[in-house]
Amino acid sequence: MSEARRIPFNNPGWAGNTGEFQLTEAQVRGDEYVGKRPPEGGHPSGTSTYPYMLAEKDPEAPLFEGAYQERFEKIRSRYPDARSALLPSLGMAQELRGHLSPETMEQVAQLLGLSPAYVRGVATFYTMYNKRPVGRFLIQVCTNISCSLCGGDDVLQAFLNNTGTEMGETSEDGNFTVMEAECLAGCGFPTTVQINSRYYENVMPKDVPEILERLKAQGE
Amino acid sequence: MAYPYTHEKEVRILSKHFGEPEARTVEGWKARGGYQTLSMAFEMGRNAIIDEVKASGLRGRGGAGFPAGVKWSFMPQDGGRPHYLLCNADESEPGTFKDRELLRWAPHQVIEGMIIAAYAIRAEQAYVYCRGEFFETTQILARAIEEAYEAGYLGKDILGSGVNVDITVHCGGGAYICGEETALMNSLEGRRGTPRIKPPFPAQAGYMGMPSTVNNVETLSSIPFIIQEGADAYRANGTAESPGTKLFCVSGHVRRPGNYELPLGFPLMELIDDVCGGMKEGRTLKGVIPGGSSVPILNAEECANCEMSFEGVIAAGSQLGCAAVIVMDDSTDIVKEVRRMVGFYAHESCGQCTPCREGSAWAEKILRRIEEGRGTEEDLDTLMEVTSQMEGTTICVLSDSVAAPVQSSINKFREEYLSRIRTGEKAGVA
Ligand SMILES: Cc1cc2nc3c(=O)[nH]c(=O)nc-3n(C[C@H](O)[C@H](O)[C@H](O)COP(=O)(O)O)c2cc1C
Ligand code: SF4
Ligand code: FES
Repeated sequence: MSEARRIPFNNPGWAGNTGEFQLTEAQVRGDEYVGKRPPEGGHPSGTSTYPYMLAEKDPEAPLFEGAYQERFEKIRSRYPDARSALLPSLGMAQELRGHLSPETMEQVAQLLGLSPAYVRGVATFYTMYNKRPVGRFLIQVCTNISCSLCGGDDVLQAFLNNTGTEMGETSEDGNFTVMEAECLAGCGFPTTVQINSRYYENVMPKDVPEILERLKAQGE
Repeated sequence: MAYPYTHEKEVRILSKHFGEPEARTVEGWKARGGYQTLSMAFEMGRNAIIDEVKASGLRGRGGAGFPAGVKWSFMPQDGGRPHYLLCNADESEPGTFKDRELLRWAPHQVIEGMIIAAYAIRAEQAYVYCRGEFFETTQILARAIEEAYEAGYLGKDILGSGVNVDITVHCGGGAYICGEETALMNSLEGRRGTPRIKPPFPAQAGYMGMPSTVNNVETLSSIPFIIQEGADAYRANGTAESPGTKLFCVSGHVRRPGNYELPLGFPLMELIDDVCGGMKEGRTLKGVIPGGSSVPILNAEECANCEMSFEGVIAAGSQLGCAAVIVMDDSTDIVKEVRRMVGFYAHESCGQCTPCREGSAWAEKILRRIEEGRGTEEDLDTLMEVTSQMEGTTICVLSDSVAAPVQSSINKFREEYLSRIRTGEKAGVA
């Protein structure tokens, strides 16, 4: 396999890369197929799928202006009522700001004509909404049953050791927050790790330093 | 280039094009025979589609195994109110990893199935409720849907038939319980994902109080083949009670874990020993969870003659669920793994029902105490009692999912618990 085709680590984003196959990481992840999607959201059917977990976050970013305003309206147009657009709107607010502060929730509430208390009640129900700031890279390691059987706890520990953080805390350089995750639906390729919007599969403790280096260098 | 891993015993219908990036494109899908069933379906008409799906015997792949055609026939026949089709892509049951593969390798198969299903149940709007973590997967799905619109397979007056179908991808916020169909509808409405009391059933009052049908990704992916080849061809695989092929998600201590598409009824031990290459070097089988973490554990003896069909796994003492086969060898620390699974359910309980909220938290606490060598023998009785009060007493069956691993593991691996309690040692763990 030529260098360009070699997939780094065991298998980022690839299910079962211990067998014989020749696909690039981009082919596996679908990057080539998806291409660069327009900032205003493309076709409204898929507007709510935008990459919500970006490395660059601005807690002061306005809600929602320019392309984001357009996306918000497209999302809103796909549901019979405003309330149904709440989860995608919270996702978009988090994409911009990195976490959902009480003020952010209040603003989203206003945009959808809901009460702030209601929005808080909903947002706190779901684990993906960060209630406080996280690092540029949010690293979520699955330690549920299938990963646990294959050493998930060791992978979690390796991420904590190599970033020098405690669970849920952000590293001093602001780069990394490591958390334990529930099953990520990659159980056949343990251990599955989600880093921002991407999956890394078949991760072993020995891969961890290289993954962290790659994140710092390439931002993904 | 084969999708790792493949096996010659597989019957690849749903997974035929896994590992082929070109199959994701609308052109690539058409070149592989895709999208031919739409005009066939519109010509057949709604009742004939539902009859064909009923005749195929296709059972829901989301866990409960309810016949898909029968579910569709519950939808009201008269017009007036909007109907909704909801594709359940919340895939969060520990051990399950098939829907993600179906969505990212064969997105048009799901879309094609959804268009036919939406037409059959008179829905013009369909949603795919994807778990929020699936960013990469939903990007692929969204692109595929966009292409389907461009090609005229979605939107108004599809292929000049007068049929209208819109599909919207909706991303969840990270909550296992949203996979339960009524919680999914609440979540889609922008509420907390708490299950609703049934009745009313979704076909009467679902999303926005309107008639709705919830189907799993794999169920909907099976529809194009049934329309194309007919119910008899579909029944050529599987058993009389569990027709067709199924993606088996095998994880844990086998040499070649992965998704394998096999006829329902396939022997469990053949799946492990042959298809998945057997146990890892020098290891022996301790137990198998055959249907995702919410079904009872089978010990090695029970696995011996277990056939992987809905009825076969019940006969062996567990349930097929979503066919997530978690294989455990003799190095497995049962107490720890059960505690981990129960901890998951305690975390994911929506908190509406006292037996579930309190029971799962207590069960986790007691299990942790035992794991750390601080348990007593009475703790086992307490666990059995607490979990027996969690069965059949709650709004949804998440509560029962705690009882299954706890009770089955105490019944089948009692010695392991006792040794942990008496000596603090992991006896029986190689
Ligand atoms: C706690 C709980 C979680 C569930 N999670 C899922 C899920 O992630 N995906 C799914 O398809 N079905 C899930 N189900 C089953 C759904 O409620 C529903 O039965 C299924 O989506 C119906 O589709 P089917 O008839 O095609 O199987 C879950 C059920 C319960 C009680
Ligand atoms: S059984 Fe548990 S998860 Fe289900 S509705 Fe009751 S509290 Fe919620
Ligand atoms: S158990 Fe780790 S991804 Fe499912």
